[in-house]
Amino acid sequence: MIEPVALQDFFITFFSAALIILSGAGYAGLYAWAKLRGNPRLLLWAYACYAVLAGATFLLARATHLNGQWQVLVGLMLTGYLLVPLGIWKLCVASHGDENPPSPFL
Amino acid sequence: MNSIVTALPGKIASVFTRLDSPYLNGGQQLAVKYFSVATVLFFAQLLFGLLAAIQFVAPGFLFGWLDFSVNRMVHINAMVVWLLYGFIGSVYWFLEEESGTEIAGLKLGNIAFYVLTGAVTIVVLVYLLIQTGPGKDSTIWFINEGREYIEAPRWADFGIVAVMLVFFYNVAGTFMKGRWSGISGVLTLDLIALAGLYCAGMFYLTNITADQFWWWWVIHLWVEATWEVLVGCIMAWSLMHLIGARRKIVQTWLYIEVALMFGSGILGLGHHYFWIGTPDYWFSIGGFFSALEPIPLVAMVVHSVYDAGVHQFKSRNHPALAWIIAHTFGNFLGAGVWGFMHTLPQINLYTHGTQWSASHGHLAFFGAYATINIAFFYMAVQKWRGNVWMGGELPGNGWKWKWAMALLNIGVLGMTVALLIAGYEQSFIERAVEGSTWSGYFSAQNHPWFQQAMHWRLLFGLITIAGLVLLIWDLMTIGKGETRPALQLSEA
Amino acid sequence: MGQTTPAWASEARWKKIAIWVTAGSFVLLVFLTFDTLSKVSVGGERVRAYSVINKEIDYRYDEKQKRFAPVIGKDAPLFGQALSEEEAEKLVMLGKKTTQAKNCMNCHTLLGNGAYYAPDLTKAWLDPGWIDAANRENLMLAFLKDPAGNARSFGSGRRMPNLGITDEEAHGVVAFLKWMSAIDTNGFPNNFKTLNTKE
Repeated sequence: MIEPVALQDFFITFFSAALIILSGAGYAGLYAWAKLRGNPRLLLWAYACYAVLAGATFLLARATHLNGQWQVLVGLMLTGYLLVPLGIWKLCVASHGDENPPSPFL
Repeated sequence: MNSIVTALPGKIASVFTRLDSPYLNGGQQLAVKYFSVATVLFFAQLLFGLLAAIQFVAPGFLFGWLDFSVNRMVHINAMVVWLLYGFIGSVYWFLEEESGTEIAGLKLGNIAFYVLTGAVTIVVLVYLLIQTGPGKDSTIWFINEGREYIEAPRWADFGIVAVMLVFFYNVAGTFMKGRWSGISGVLTLDLIALAGLYCAGMFYLTNITADQFWWWWVIHLWVEATWEVLVGCIMAWSLMHLIGARRKIVQTWLYIEVALMFGSGILGLGHHYFWIGTPDYWFSIGGFFSALEPIPLVAMVVHSVYDAGVHQFKSRNHPALAWIIAHTFGNFLGAGVWGFMHTLPQINLYTHGTQWSASHGHLAFFGAYATINIAFFYMAVQKWRGNVWMGGELPGNGWKWKWAMALLNIGVLGMTVALLIAGYEQSFIERAVEGSTWSGYFSAQNHPWFQQAMHWRLLFGLITIAGLVLLIWDLMTIGKGETRPALQLSEA
Repeated sequence: MGQTTPAWASEARWKKIAIWVTAGSFVLLVFLTFDTLSKVSVGGERVRAYSVINKEIDYRYDEKQKRFAPVIGKDAPLFGQALSEEEAEKLVMLGKKTTQAKNCMNCHTLLGNGAYYAPDLTKAWLDPGWIDAANRENLMLAFLKDPAGNARSFGSGRRMPNLGITDEEAHGVVAFLKWMSAIDTNGFPNNFKTLNTKE
């Protein structure tokens, strides 16, 4: 059912797991910020964060042996953390729709 | 003698009535009582945590008098109870404003407060003075149930349930009498779930697998589901009050949060069912939902950036807003990063039951819950003083609240990192190399990394306590003699 | 007000979603709870009958499952006396209640849950520290009744305090620990070498 992490992969497991959440937040935050300011360069940094997330996911998947049905988890992390910030951003704009323009910077 | 005893309740009540303030409504007077006991218990939590931390460094300390088991039990019980006192107080605080009417059965609510506080005092005294009993039902009923976090003896369980019913009557009755809102609806349903779940921890089972299965229903579904939603309700109201956020938006986001929290958190329970004898399909369920659990946090990041960009934060209470910001960071790091690092079963096999859990627990409880209560204390004290100014330019540049906040955050973060290093070493040496035997356990405990980590933890624990002392001092003095009125927010 | 908020982002829509997600998750959890509780009832494959304390218990790597698993062996009655299922249950129950009454969980972990000041008790019955099966029961009884006098500190300076455990309760605790060591914990702890495989 599971294949435990090998001793020499402990560090990479903890590190990549932390990196997934941190870069996930970085991507989400930078994406929102880029949208707010309409700044494509910030968007580039957001995607760079996502690239880190994808790399970390790959490392974590290798260290924790996410094979077989566990591949679903990898797919979930990759698509979930990619799309959720976009959805939440849309939700922010839409739910605050009758408020002031979404950005004081525009 | 008799007259002393009969006069006692009156004397105790007079101590608390001295906390009354002409600026508060009935529910808020009661809330202040809850907050003051919460603060005392917060201090008790840190004090007994300190004793336990010293015992890691000097095992002979208080040996045979206050053993580690007693100190650790009071440490975690005081935490659970002070957080609950803070939540209950916060709800009483906004009940009248949110419902637009006076609290139904406030007198009963006041009696319930004294009953609960009396019961808590007796439970703690029994923990400290009697400590353990014979291996019989009588011990479980009257001394100690011996199950982590819910050690309170069975008689107290029934007392807690009775008091919760009164609290629930106050809440539901008031909303029924006044007006309902999105916040009050979520709050009422969440309180039913919260009280109902407690009953899952109120029976004895010899089958330890089934015992721990239900035990986690209480612990996990409180901490990672119903408490989060309760705090969501408190936050929703606070944001309207504090920065003038609009009700419709706040409520929409409360529902979004409920969907995300419960959607990931209820079945996230699975990550506690890896190793207690339950079937191995919980590996997949626990792993899957644990990967989902950070999603509400990512949502929070996007929303915070949006809000920070759209509103120029005009807050009527700087310390409270600062603590809410500390909450977002603490919750993200403690629950999100620290949680996900060791949650997948492939690695949890080696981290389960080590200082990893302690590391995660310290930051997550502080970040997710303690911070919110502290923020609310500041909002309460502002009104208690007569709705005075609590923005910038406080006397002494607000050094007390700023230093208290810095010390508490540095202290908790320092303890968290120290415990992380200890846990890392433990999972390596005790778990992976030596296969979790007793000698493996102790070789990890004796390792220099572990030993040094425990010294650092003690040091940062002292910093945390210093922060709390300063915080209490600040809460007692902030706004004293302040003549400027609080900032008015147009949208509130 | 409100006309500009599309339906999919509206308060009413998210209220419905919140209710359905919560209810759906809870129904799933209830279903899984019934299934799990039926699979972990005493006497099943995962949680053995209390009378398993009449047998030899070991914990070894299982090639088929690719993890460690308990192995139930030949007759080896605890304290040299075979018990009926009822007698065994009574003894294990006394032990379980004693572990609760003495607050074991706030120093030790059981099944990995508890505090981290003292070793995990999940496989305490099988720990190589008891040297061999012949002396184990007596060492355990002596330790439980006078832990400070028979301290097993492994150089840490930590001692278990005397908790006033009676002879009868000590027998119960040993029975409880032996029974617990036979629970199939999905391979936790990994790589644990029991006192039988020490050589």
